[in-house]
Amino acid sequence: MANNNLMVGLEIGTSKICVVVGEGRTDGTLKILGVGQAPSRGVRKGEIVDFETAMKCVHEAVVDAEQKSDVMIRSVYVAVAGSHLQSFNNRGCVMVPEDRDEIDEQDVEDVKINAREVSIPTQNAFLHSLIQHYHVDGQEGVLSPAGMFGQKLEADFHIIHGVRTRIQNTIRCVKELPLDVEDVVFSGLASAQVVLTQHQKDLGALVIDMGGGTTDYVLYADGAVRQSGCLAVGGDHITNDISMGLRIPMARAEKLKIEEGSCILGNCLPGEMILLKDDSGFAGKEIERETLNTVIYLRLREALELLKRRLDEETYLNYVGAGIFITGGCSLLNGIDHLASEIFELPACLARAQSTSGITSAVENPQFATAIGLVKFAQVMHSDRPPRGLGRIFGKLLGGMR
Amino acid sequence: MIQLNKNYTLPDRLADFIPIKIVSVGGAGLNALDRIVLDGLERADVVAINTDVQSLTSAVAPHKVQLGRSVTRGLGAGGDPELGYEAAVESAEEIRQALADARAIFVCAGLGGGTGSGATPYVAQLAREAGALVIAFVTLPFAFEGRRRNAQAREALARLDEVAHAVICFENDRMGELTPPHAGIHQAFAMADITISQSVRSIVSLIQRPGFIRIGFDDLLSALRPHNGRCLFGYGESDSDNRAHEALTQALKNPLMDRGRMLSDATNVLVQVAGGPGMTLSEVEILMQELCRHVSDQTQILFGAAVDGRLGDKLSVTIISSLAAEEESVSRPREPGISSSGSVTPTVVEQHEPVQAKIEIEAQEIVIEPAPPEEDTPFEEPAMAEAPPAAIPAPSIPKPVISRPPEKSFAANKEKAPAEKSVQAKQEILQFEPVTRGRFEKSEPTIVEGEDLDVPTFLRKNIKVK
Repeated sequence: MANNNLMVGLEIGTSKICVVVGEGRTDGTLKILGVGQAPSRGVRKGEIVDFETAMKCVHEAVVDAEQKSDVMIRSVYVAVAGSHLQSFNNRGCVMVPEDRDEIDEQDVEDVKINAREVSIPTQNAFLHSLIQHYHVDGQEGVLSPAGMFGQKLEADFHIIHGVRTRIQNTIRCVKELPLDVEDVVFSGLASAQVVLTQHQKDLGALVIDMGGGTTDYVLYADGAVRQSGCLAVGGDHITNDISMGLRIPMARAEKLKIEEGSCILGNCLPGEMILLKDDSGFAGKEIERETLNTVIYLRLREALELLKRRLDEETYLNYVGAGIFITGGCSLLNGIDHLASEIFELPACLARAQSTSGITSAVENPQFATAIGLVKFAQVMHSDRPPRGLGRIFGKLLGGMR
Repeated sequence: MIQLNKNYTLPDRLADFIPIKIVSVGGAGLNALDRIVLDGLERADVVAINTDVQSLTSAVAPHKVQLGRSVTRGLGAGGDPELGYEAAVESAEEIRQALADARAIFVCAGLGGGTGSGATPYVAQLAREAGALVIAFVTLPFAFEGRRRNAQAREALARLDEVAHAVICFENDRMGELTPPHAGIHQAFAMADITISQSVRSIVSLIQRPGFIRIGFDDLLSALRPHNGRCLFGYGESDSDNRAHEALTQALKNPLMDRGRMLSDATNVLVQVAGGPGMTLSEVEILMQELCRHVSDQTQILFGAAVDGRLGDKLSVTIISSLAAEEESVSRPREPGISSSGSVTPTVVEQHEPVQAKIEIEAQEIVIEPAPPEEDTPFEEPAMAEAPPAAIPAPSIPKPVISRPPEKSFAANKEKAPAEKSVQAKQEILQFEPVTRGRFEKSEPTIVEGEDLDVPTFLRKNIKVK
């Protein structure tokens, strides 16, 4: 079995670090071989703040994944998040020389470079430039222009960029382990790869990946990314709110959020209390359920409304046909889908990785959506790229024989 | 009725502007003034004063005064402070006219040269006699400009210190360190001009801005109190989402701020936050919290806030403070000595000079014996009070110079008349209620649409959850 079909996704999240080892099948499906995870420390809002500690945690997670999948991990795809990531749409344009009128591969490459020639802040670096559509002589919606006749080739790109040093920090953290970094991927984009099917992308869909420290969103319309970004609010904020609102320690607040949390108001009995049990067996504090839910509700509502305001800056929200797909750890909160559909006035559902096989417990868990998405992303990249090493030589030989 | 009210308040506010004049003396001062005018300055008049007609004609300042028509005949002072001083005395009447009707006068000069060192203290003195608050912005020459020039500059600085209410001193050497090593010399000089321009402009707008927590002269003076110390000054503005954080970072990046490290030693720090109508309380809170990490607990923060429609989406922060630099106060005692030895050249004042120098020495000897540890403190005051040094036959009462190591300056502030104390008591220091951000305390704040999202939503929206 060719080893280069093995792909590893690593997400350094705010609450935990996950490593997913996957195997790409020739038919395009993905099999998850193993999942490793470790609680994350030294990461805040999706960005590394304590380098040494974060590195130890990554190491733990990688070792865990190696043991579970029985695979030696050498290189990984890494997800990046953080409020510094920004995105915009840009159109590039090239004119085909007078002496020929067929668009060739080189022109397509040129238009890609041309689209990137925009000023982003000097400290920023490009993370992705995702093709939306090509236009040939004003004809819209061309998917593959190479080989077509035309004089003017234009291309719409969605460009995601972020502060270079912060992205480098993430890369360095992995490289010091030492592991090779194949690529860095915006975590929201990674999640969308497994959460959405191609059909849903074509219909138009909004993916909201609400994790521990950040909320990443990617909006697809007409099969292409139109809007994306990252809001530095996540589950940590909910926990913090609970801890401060109910005056209980963070660890207790986190547990309470996971076990009892909900963002539905008005469906609990008046005066319904939750008894907090003390670890030592002493009777703990009593907390009104409605209070807990109000705190969660207010925070989630605010975050989602903020997101809506951001998305409303452009009109693409009107082209979302398939609805909203919520994933990430926070999607486990009771009632979040109802809240989202109420705010966005669109159908919303909880989503998790699809079109994969293997360890189902991992696939089921929305917390792994990003890491699995990375593997999927890697698979797509691999299929685009000529196979490496031996495979490439064989490929060349075969090509020569044909 | 409502309309009437509106009509009344508007002119009132306009009339509230304090007449300010910015005066440059000498060539270097002129460069700085040009920079100030070019950078744009409102609500202040500018006056250029120089001996050299050629540079005066090319200056952009609308109001110009030529010094010493007969002494220098339109040429420069040739690096001779005595000549500069004589030229200024000759044109005293013109200077007086130019300085009239101002409540605050900012004098910019580069010390070390003839006009700058010679005329500046005299101009400052005339300004003070005109009844204005005088703040001097001066640069000290680069070390490579030679010892002589440096000595002249120090001497002039000492004189200036006595007549001006406050002296903000920029050391070119220190600013030179900030320009990249391969940058041309003009860039190093331009750096000094830019820094002066920035500080003058921000102090002008600091005073002029009708803030709802206003910064007055008294605040400015107490922030600059340790005379001849190292001036800490920072100004930053930003209009991004996270503008509070960025403006402060930018302010702390200022050459004179040393990334906020020096702030921890300052006893008084003046901070003004100004923004457009969209400035929120939480932004100010974040900014002040962040700033508080740089200052010690004992530091008095003189806080001002202002809303200025012209700032639009921008938020600006001005930080002013000063430290009594130790090496400065050590070198201070020698300065009167320099002034007497350096005055081998003087012509006019020669008669007083030697006598006074002797008095100084006597005073010094007498005081040193009983209290050796307080060497510079008691020594300086009698010397200054009895002998207004060399070139200035000042009728004005020189202000006692407070240039001591930090602990002593604190004591000095206390003994320094109850009037000041009562002023400080009146000034309300806005005590921010510590808004806890829980586990996000040490992380970068998430500010979206002017709100700090790290603070629980129910707190920000004021919803009672219990």
